[in-house]
Amino acid sequence: MRYAFLLVACAVALLVAPSLRAADPDTKGVEFFESKVRPVLVEQCYKCHSAQTGKARGNLTLDTRAALLKGGDTGPAVVPGNPEKSLLIAAVRHDGDLKMPPKTKLPDAVVKDLRRWVEMGAPDPRDRAPAAVSNIDWTKARGFWSFRPVRKPALPSVKDASWPKSDTDRFILARLEAEGLHPVAAADRRTLLRRATFDLTGLPPTPDEIDTFLHDDSPDAFAKVVDRLLKSPQYGERWARHWLDVARYAEDQAHTFAVKPNTEAFRYRDWVIDALNADMPYDLFVKRQIAADLMEGNEPDGYKQRAALGFFGLGAQYYKNSDAARAAADELDDRIDTLGRGFLGLTVSCARCHDHKFDPIPTQDYYSLAGVFYSCKLADLPMVPKAEADRYADAKKPVLEADRKLKELEKAEKSKATTEGKERIKGLKAELEKLKKSAPPPLPMAHALADATATDLHVYVRGNPAQQGDLAPRRFLRVLSGAEPPRFTKGSGRLELAEAIASKDNPLTARVLVNRVWAWHFGRGLVGTPSNFGQLGERPTHPELLDDLAARFVENGWSLKWLHREVLLSATYQQSSEANVKSQAADPDNRLLGRMNRRRLEVEAWRDSLLAVSGQLDRSFGGPTVDLNAGQNRRRTVYCKVSRHELNGLLRLFDFPDANITSERRTETTVPQQQLFVLNSPFFVGQAKALAARVGAEERDDTARVRRAYLLAYGRPATDAELLLALRYLGGKDDPSERNGLTRWERYAQALLAMNEFLYVD
Amino acid sequence: MLPITRREMLARVGTGLGTLGLATVLADGGLLAAERQTTSENPLAARPSHFRPRARRLIHLFMNGGPSQVDTFDPKPALEKYNGQKAPTELRTERKTGNLLMSPFKFAKHGRSGLDVSDLFPHLAKCADELCVIRSMHTNIPNHEPALLMMTSGETQPTRPSMGSWLLYGLGTDNQNLPGFVVLCPGKPVVGPQLWGNSFLPGIYQGTHINNGRIDPKNVIANVSNGQLGRAAQREQMDLLKELNEIHLARRPGDNPLEARIQSLEMAYRMQFEAQEVFDLGRETKATRELYGTGPFADACLLARRMVERGVRVVQVFTGDGQPWDDHGDIKAHADKARTVDRPAAALLADLKARGLLEDTLVLWGGEFGRTPTSEGAKGRDHNNHGFSVWLAGGGVKGGLAYGATDDVGFAAVEKKVHVHDLHATILHLMGLDHEKLTYRYGGRDFRLTDVSGTVVRDIIA
Repeated sequence: MRYAFLLVACAVALLVAPSLRAADPDTKGVEFFESKVRPVLVEQCYKCHSAQTGKARGNLTLDTRAALLKGGDTGPAVVPGNPEKSLLIAAVRHDGDLKMPPKTKLPDAVVKDLRRWVEMGAPDPRDRAPAAVSNIDWTKARGFWSFRPVRKPALPSVKDASWPKSDTDRFILARLEAEGLHPVAAADRRTLLRRATFDLTGLPPTPDEIDTFLHDDSPDAFAKVVDRLLKSPQYGERWARHWLDVARYAEDQAHTFAVKPNTEAFRYRDWVIDALNADMPYDLFVKRQIAADLMEGNEPDGYKQRAALGFFGLGAQYYKNSDAARAAADELDDRIDTLGRGFLGLTVSCARCHDHKFDPIPTQDYYSLAGVFYSCKLADLPMVPKAEADRYADAKKPVLEADRKLKELEKAEKSKATTEGKERIKGLKAELEKLKKSAPPPLPMAHALADATATDLHVYVRGNPAQQGDLAPRRFLRVLSGAEPPRFTKGSGRLELAEAIASKDNPLTARVLVNRVWAWHFGRGLVGTPSNFGQLGERPTHPELLDDLAARFVENGWSLKWLHREVLLSATYQQSSEANVKSQAADPDNRLLGRMNRRRLEVEAWRDSLLAVSGQLDRSFGGPTVDLNAGQNRRRTVYCKVSRHELNGLLRLFDFPDANITSERRTETTVPQQQLFVLNSPFFVGQAKALAARVGAEERDDTARVRRAYLLAYGRPATDAELLLALRYLGGKDDPSERNGLTRWERYAQALLAMNEFLYVD
Repeated sequence: MLPITRREMLARVGTGLGTLGLATVLADGGLLAAERQTTSENPLAARPSHFRPRARRLIHLFMNGGPSQVDTFDPKPALEKYNGQKAPTELRTERKTGNLLMSPFKFAKHGRSGLDVSDLFPHLAKCADELCVIRSMHTNIPNHEPALLMMTSGETQPTRPSMGSWLLYGLGTDNQNLPGFVVLCPGKPVVGPQLWGNSFLPGIYQGTHINNGRIDPKNVIANVSNGQLGRAAQREQMDLLKELNEIHLARRPGDNPLEARIQSLEMAYRMQFEAQEVFDLGRETKATRELYGTGPFADACLLARRMVERGVRVVQVFTGDGQPWDDHGDIKAHADKARTVDRPAAALLADLKARGLLEDTLVLWGGEFGRTPTSEGAKGRDHNNHGFSVWLAGGGVKGGLAYGATDDVGFAAVEKKVHVHDLHATILHLMGLDHEKLTYRYGGRDFRLTDVSGTVVRDIIA
């Protein structure tokens, strides 16, 4: 039904544009103008004949139909219906005295199109009022589900009152019951602990943790587990990675020409980890990523938060050699796209060249936001109090001074090249080195944004920075803030933008976040398109639940840890992942959540778990990035380098997203190259060897060792069949003519780690 | 019914949507032919095209750095006549250039078609009747990075999937034991991996880069060979793993992703041997090796043939590390690059033809842009986005044709202009795909290789 759906969406677009249809029956003519004529005028003629570029050679402008009819010094440029009398046509034919464009003749096809257009009566929509504003019925637009205010709904009644453990469960159960379905049984305790531990920390539970939970008979045993996991620093390491996908976090740029490396990008990654571990309220989490530098007045140690600005400070920087204006516009687009989809679930970027075709976002709104970022610059901000930064600057002064002197001297000596000069240069160089050695170590720096000159942009017509249209004052999106949103007045307007996004009155921010968290817990959001809550996004499967969670999330101080507890302590989350026949048939992709989804581990959790089970995991926390392939790198994957230029092969192979663009969810693909990594890579073989050595040291005989390996890797006892299989394999004999580099135990350990059970969590 | 994208389909396959349900959804959705038939778990499985393809495989010989059109396939007698004089029109390129500079190379007409080829390419000249030269190419920006990205992905920023990724997404590949999109370059071209990147398409559609400076069949594909176990021992280990996985699956019946991974492990096991075989050039006859000549580019062309023969969908061969054709200093240096490329490229065409593969293999030769007919310094040429030449051969194109034209001095395309988007549209068309229908929904928009442009150049299709 994709095409049918698109047709409906188009119909909606037409409905909200009644003025267009009423005023202009000749849509075909307008289409012709838009596709064949306007681009030519804009690209070939406006340079010298446009009110917008301020040039009217021969007193002719071509921006409006009226101006074309009036013409310039030599008469009307266009006589509708009569190409022979239209000077425009004579000029582009290049066969008389008047030749336009003066230097190059337009291609014949273009001349033919212009002629045809005049014959058609020169249809031209440009004299209408700006289409962007008049075409959107704002009242109607704000009636779309995601733009309506979040309202806490009444709790639905359910037949099986014994099943729900929480409000969340009542919404889920009511939907299932309405379809004649019922949830499956609860997961057993081992499965539940394993699921929750992977989910919140990205690591498997240890045998001790399993033992403790299995022997805790108190009614809140699982709640205690959830609290323990949320308190562990591994929680932040795990959940930061989810957010970093959205933030398209990377430490470099796709291209390598003249790019300053972001050597301290890790400070943003660590800031996200710390913020999550500290349960920073989400509204503050959002605001700081947009405007931390402008919020410090209220916070004694605000400088620590500057790293948050890496959300934009680490954004795309494109290659700017020839078309710098276009590249700069593309950079603004990267900021707006990541902001729009990341925080608001809105594809604002679609309004860059034309009004959004499906959502109520006029092009002018796009440039209102673009103006905010245009008024900012990339900046490295020291993450220390001002006094310390000043002290540092003072201490650095002699170095800078010596450096300046040296450069001056070198410049002066370049042409002279005297012996005396050479000696002086040598002396100064030695002095500079000495000064550098005694200078204080560099301050920690955040790759951030800072305000530059506040400037409103004009709309770039059809996305072309050389072609500027209406003014777009810096302000928030109209659909979220009323017909005439107040203009941003403080500097770039970043803080005002941050406040508008992180407002409890913004219907999208909380909904979008709650849905993301839901998707990261269940594998699928209540809205299946987490970064698109617009017309082309999916509708929520459980709209009331989404609103209920969003409302209570805000009531509970925008606390993510509250939200995790709400989800994990629900009966919905605690279901088994084993489908029953009826629900499998009625709801094959489990939209109604009558069971838990079996999940594949993301590459980070998978690699970390291999290291954890083999006993090799380096649990040290935070700090500079390490190359994933570097020799003995045993750190958690979140600390490994993420490159836009060349993403690590293992990450790419296992569906890590391209960090050039924001990512709303991981795709999951299964291809043989992944299994080659499992069968043959030194890393995987290394973990197998380590696991074999570990259980070899920890237990005395093969039976005990196999049992121990199962407990470490799978958190459960080996079954008799599995034990038998293992012992048979371990006792097997090799063909002596083959040279094998692994012991039977190492080969067995490799097979254990390669199992589906290691990659998929019930 | 909500729109189902291929991306979503892939995502769902991973979260337990049954195959039957998926097939029904896609069939009901009236999706692309290429998508409708997809009931397989394997996102790389071969899929039918939108319409009957003229070419089933693509080999792109990428002349990175930008060869000069007026020294290769677009002769300009006017350059000799006006050598050293001011160009009639000054077009903006990367830097300011001097006066007109005649080609140091001589052109002659070749084959029955009488196609013009310069003496840089004596071997290719013998294939003149196979070549379909487009002399009226143009692109947006006269810098390597944006122009390379434009040629490989249809966009000047690194934010779109490469053409090879699009083709793999649209058509899948015929040999599951080999990567479906392979890039051969000794070292790396400028820009690097983004040129064969998948961007928002799933990671499996990314090109596999092989540094063919030195080919070791054991290492060309990551982890393709097991350094630890003999074949019998590894098979025994695979059997153990299979049994363990089947015990696990028995308690979770009908779980497609689990089954898919069991199959995938077996495919990987087989891939170890087949993938090594394809890269072993020692298996070719002496005559064939001599036909192609020696050096990384020759090896890459021969590998390209071995790969397409075995069902690889797209092979891209770069001339070399960095940007070899970038002769700012002295255009005569084109001779070295031509020597590298000429014999192997001609051998590839002849070899494909002899094996009956040329008729449904499309070969594309060309750079990211052309060069100025005016001089840079005394003897070099600057980048030129306004006009350049590429040629196609095989897979459904007219041989012995020179299509379109640049102006009198070869600066800008003026007749039957072909933008890179048009070239992409035409390549997709020849591969049986409608460039307006090969879409992928990302960020609220249906993206295409050709963005909002592209017209199929029908006049070059046989």
